[in-house]
Amino acid sequence: MQLFSGSVGVRKGLSLFSKWAVLLVSADFQKPKTKSAAGASDHHFSVVDLRSRILTEMAGGLIHQVLRRKLQSQSAVQALSSFASRKANDDAGSAGMRTVALIGAGVTGLLGFATVASADEAEHGLGVPNYPWPHQGILSSYDHASIRRGHQVYQQVCASCHSMSLISYRDLVGVAYTEEETKAMAAEIEVVDGPNDEGEMFTRPGKLSDRFPQPYANEQAARFANGGAYPPDLSLITKARHNGQNYVFALLTGYRDPPAGVTIREGLHYNPYFPGGAIAMPKMLIDGAVEYEDGTPATEAQMGKDVVTFLSWAAEPEMEERKLMGFKWIFVLSLALLQAGYYRRLRWSVLKSRKLVLDVVN
Amino acid sequence: MLQDIIPHRHIRYRTDQAATLLIGRADEEPVDQKKTLENICQSGCAKPKHGYEECVKRISGDDTGTKHCTGQYFDYLTCVDKCVAPKLFAKLK
Repeated sequence: MQLFSGSVGVRKGLSLFSKWAVLLVSADFQKPKTKSAAGASDHHFSVVDLRSRILTEMAGGLIHQVLRRKLQSQSAVQALSSFASRKANDDAGSAGMRTVALIGAGVTGLLGFATVASADEAEHGLGVPNYPWPHQGILSSYDHASIRRGHQVYQQVCASCHSMSLISYRDLVGVAYTEEETKAMAAEIEVVDGPNDEGEMFTRPGKLSDRFPQPYANEQAARFANGGAYPPDLSLITKARHNGQNYVFALLTGYRDPPAGVTIREGLHYNPYFPGGAIAMPKMLIDGAVEYEDGTPATEAQMGKDVVTFLSWAAEPEMEERKLMGFKWIFVLSLALLQAGYYRRLRWSVLKSRKLVLDVVN
Repeated sequence: MLQDIIPHRHIRYRTDQAATLLIGRADEEPVDQKKTLENICQSGCAKPKHGYEECVKRISGDDTGTKHCTGQYFDYLTCVDKCVAPKLFAKLK
């Protein structure tokens, strides 16, 4: 709150308290003011007269303020403390008491938060290390072989619980698979399509334009099948979590035994990177769970890297184009900056090199 | 690794598929690279590991259920992660 603001004129955003505080300051300094919150005219008021006016207006203002803020629980404390501060200010009339009252108001406000429970290190989850992703550099592209393997991992390990409802089969064409491969993949799923000429819904094999299939019909079904926990949609997961790529990799490969003294209830599993430590998802990446088409050994770390690369692509498919565009335009704009700088100095040189002669006439 | 089992390096250049016939199950079970790196990095994190083990000893007698060693555990895991993270991806394809 701004107490000792420069202008005494009413400003929007100043609380009622600070307006009165400003008045009090001005009253103590014994300066006559032309404009004030009280609307005084520009006569000379003695200090005593000003203070009696302030008292009556304070009382009215306090009642007005308390009534206005009656419904807010926190501000009852504020009103009381500000009331106490005002009384202290008026009675003592010295800067020392004012600061003490201010500190008291601050402590009262802080103590209002004392009911919040304290938490330990597990609350935010273990800090995630930064892995050197191959697509990390300023001009680095995705490892598309890794995207292809990662999609295989997603399909065989994750798709039974996690949807990716924003990705279509056609998005994979040219990124991870050829068009024929993607068409064949899409044709393996059954899709419910709109009413036919008889008005009935029918199922047909999938096409390139179809979205990835959803494992559950709705969120309630997903929660019911997973002990109340909802497996989040993975279309944007690396953007939806802080430090998403590193976090997802650490989470998937970070299942461990809980530390001494920590027990996880039945149905949950310990993962130090998960906020709170108890995650509903069991460890899914087991060595050899997937047989890669290109013969890469499918270890837990390899599958984790591939699936996170796939998820990063899914969340940011435009990344490669963005980096190219960014590099090009930063270069172009730097040249433009140099040109603009030269032109500005060229035009200003006339003014900057002029000489002024001060001619004193006696 | 294959070269540990077969002492003659020139044999390594035969196809991996043939190697499985020669050795049997040597190549079927790929060992997780992160686990091996963590085992190697444990030696460099003796101090936080010791801190964790001390904590386990301290709370072993306590049965109130409120004491736990999450902090020390996290210190140890942070140390291991710092060691593993820069090296892991070089070992992956």
